[in-house]
Amino acid sequence: MASLITCPHCGVRPKEEFSIRGDAVPVRPAPNAGAEAWYAYVYVRDNPKGRIQEYWHHAAGCRRWLVVERDNVTHEVFSVRDAADVARSGSGEAA
Amino acid sequence: MCEVTLPMTLSFAHRHVLEDHIVGFETRPNPHHLAVVRRPTILCVLAHAGFEGGVKAALHALEGVCVRICGPAEWLVVSHSVGPEALLRLVREIEGVSAFDHSDGRVLMRIAGPNVRSILAKCLAVDLHRDSFAPGASANILIAHVAGNLARIGEDAFEIIVPRSYAGTVFEEVKEMGREFALTAGFSED
Repeated sequence: MASLITCPHCGVRPKEEFSIRGDAVPVRPAPNAGAEAWYAYVYVRDNPKGRIQEYWHHAAGCRRWLVVERDNVTHEVFSVRDAADVARSGSGEAA
Repeated sequence: MCEVTLPMTLSFAHRHVLEDHIVGFETRPNPHHLAVVRRPTILCVLAHAGFEGGVKAALHALEGVCVRICGPAEWLVVSHSVGPEALLRLVREIEGVSAFDHSDGRVLMRIAGPNVRSILAKCLAVDLHRDSFAPGASANILIAHVAGNLARIGEDAFEIIVPRSYAGTVFEEVKEMGREFALTAGFSED
């Protein structure tokens, strides 16, 4: 259930403790990237159905940014990871 | 059959009809009691990157304090015996630490009683069974819609720390949730 999020630091918590920022898939372009890249990063969004990744902020708990992978049809949660860990393990050294 | 004997002289004290409404219906603590600590020392402590383990160990080695977990590399250090200035001096001796005095900015309440979990279940949505929140555990939790810190200090005793501007709301809310068990409230002795 998406209404219960298992925070990697705090354990099982109700969704009321979190605020959702949005899609965690777009990667921030370099500062000198062209207007096209920035336009796409800021405004252009898919509206996917199914498995999605989102940034969730545990506002009333550990106040860490998390990356929640969930299904927006079945509300099933597949994984919850600290956003800092995701950034470190992802594309390069630091986000 | 029992005989009721009334004393011959009855003394009446004048008591305003709203006396109980203003002072409270119960003046002595019931088994379920919410105690507000008058002047606790509460420090907010953060560890710099790479010093998390050392700071945690050093905080737990301090005497006369309780360490409450807020999140990764963040703690509240609570004391009823050491003053804020003295404790701040002690904590800032630890390597890789940032510490600040929150004693005036936070309110500490202690709630205890055999059915305390039933009371708390009405204003927070976290499993407080001892298997998942054992005595000694602490965490930042949404309490009565306010982001606060909850610690289990005994089998049937919890401590709540909330920001002072929200303390009135949380206090009223917890009192309301405890009406079922005739929860009383007052300042604590220590």
